[in-house]
Amino acid sequence: MSNRLVEILVSSFMKILIPGIKVTIPLTLLSFALSLVIGLFLALVQVAKIKGIRELARFYIWIFRGTPLIVQLFIMFFGLPSIGITLDAFPAAVLAFGMNLGAYNAEVFRSAILAIPTGQMEAAYMIGLDYPQTMCRVILPQSFPVAFPNLFNNLISLLKDTSLASSITVIELFTSAQQIAARTYEPFALYLEAALIYLIFSTFLTWLQRWLEEKLVWRSKGFEEQNNTGRAKPIV
Amino acid sequence: MLEVKNIHKSFAGVPVLKGIDFKVEKGEVVAIIGPSGSGKTTLLRCISFLEKADDGRIIFDEYEHEMKNVSRHDIKKLRMQMGFVFQSFNLFRNMTAFQNVMEGLTTARGMEKEKAKKIADAVLEKVGMSERADYYPDELSGGQQQRVAIARAIAPGPQVILFDEPTSALDPELTGEVLDVMKKLASEGTTMVVVTHEMSFAREVASRVVFMEGGVVVEEGKSKEFFANPKEERTKQFLKRTMRN
Ligand SMILES: Nc1ncnc2c1ncn2[C@@H]1O[C@H](COP(=O)(O)OP(=O)(O)O)[C@@H](O)[C@H]1O
Ligand SMILES: [Mg+2]
Repeated sequence: MSNRLVEILVSSFMKILIPGIKVTIPLTLLSFALSLVIGLFLALVQVAKIKGIRELARFYIWIFRGTPLIVQLFIMFFGLPSIGITLDAFPAAVLAFGMNLGAYNAEVFRSAILAIPTGQMEAAYMIGLDYPQTMCRVILPQSFPVAFPNLFNNLISLLKDTSLASSITVIELFTSAQQIAARTYEPFALYLEAALIYLIFSTFLTWLQRWLEEKLVWRSKGFEEQNNTGRAKPIV
Repeated sequence: MLEVKNIHKSFAGVPVLKGIDFKVEKGEVVAIIGPSGSGKTTLLRCISFLEKADDGRIIFDEYEHEMKNVSRHDIKKLRMQMGFVFQSFNLFRNMTAFQNVMEGLTTARGMEKEKAKKIADAVLEKVGMSERADYYPDELSGGQQQRVAIARAIAPGPQVILFDEPTSALDPELTGEVLDVMKKLASEGTTMVVVTHEMSFAREVASRVVFMEGGVVVEEGKSKEFFANPKEERTKQFLKRTMRN
């Protein structure tokens, strides 16, 4: 490697990392938070079988899963101004990512809720709990550990997908790499560097996932065995 | 105290209950026996509104309801006066034994923590589970889980407790501890309806026995008479078959 290339890589590292920390990570976390709220809401109205609202939820999921994320981003940022709604690039990106992932997380929550045996709900009814109490006290607390691995996978996907925000002028990690690559004519090195920084972030998330899973899954072994989605079962 | 009249229930057009009349007086222990598939579970589930009967009336205390159009509000009120013990225990897996018992008192009935705690401690003591109060269901044996489930059912002091084959899911060596708890409740005058295959329990503990087959009540009577002199041919055959084991 030439000295010049090393110099470019070293000097650009912080210039890519800092937008990564200042923009990519907040963008990811805010979008994810929004997607959890939307996802849980869509899942609850579906399992509660509320006529009308359930159909609306399905329609929402159909739209957001059936169209490309980048098109949704473009509509949010370039399209909405035509009907008088102008958003800054960052909030437009949070909305697009959050609403998109909300559709996917809705399915994660829904299947996690449906994975809880009906006997749990019946027992709750028989001690006098009503539907909302049953959900809050019995069903959802058991659903979260089931949903957790899939939610976290979606979070890691989202982290990488936020690079698409560069296409609507958000100056995040990948945008910064693009700018430096254009200036230095070293696209290969710069994009590898960007990839490396994404890899560092997602590795950190993977560690966080493991750590949280150990904290979150209750002591019982039986529970873990029955619900371990995506984790290898020890062979005995 | 609890009476149902002329219950009909079909699943996908197949009739499972064909006009059941059934009555429990205060302090009675009624055993419901019969071959599997005869509709015993469905009967208990209709009484507790876990299934909606197609037809029939329920009379509980002074309330009388048409079973197919009872409001959600009335269902909740009726259930507040019933306990249900499931074949598969159905303890809340996210709660300890103690929390399982507390839930019906605090969350469902809005009882103060302190008062609820006293009751929970007392019922866990009664079923012999005080020592394991802080264990999660998955850390307990089947027999222990069922005893906690019984504690959870009796804690709010319901007027009647429905048991659906409470020992059928247990290893044979664990049925005794659950039956002992049920005997204790019976001797204290608890009103109980028990679907069971345990003929010794039906004979020795139950005050009355109801024999069901094919979705109808074939015969019923005082426990002693029922076993000493069954009248119907089908009852005799059933008893002969089950007593042999
Ligand atoms: N949810 C259901 N859907 C369809 N069929 C059912 C359902 N529950 C019970 N059945 C049928 O009703 C009949 C009586 O069942 P059940 O009440 O469980 O009998 P028992 O408890 O006496 O063994 C059986 O033939 C069973 O297959
Ligand atoms: Mg049954």
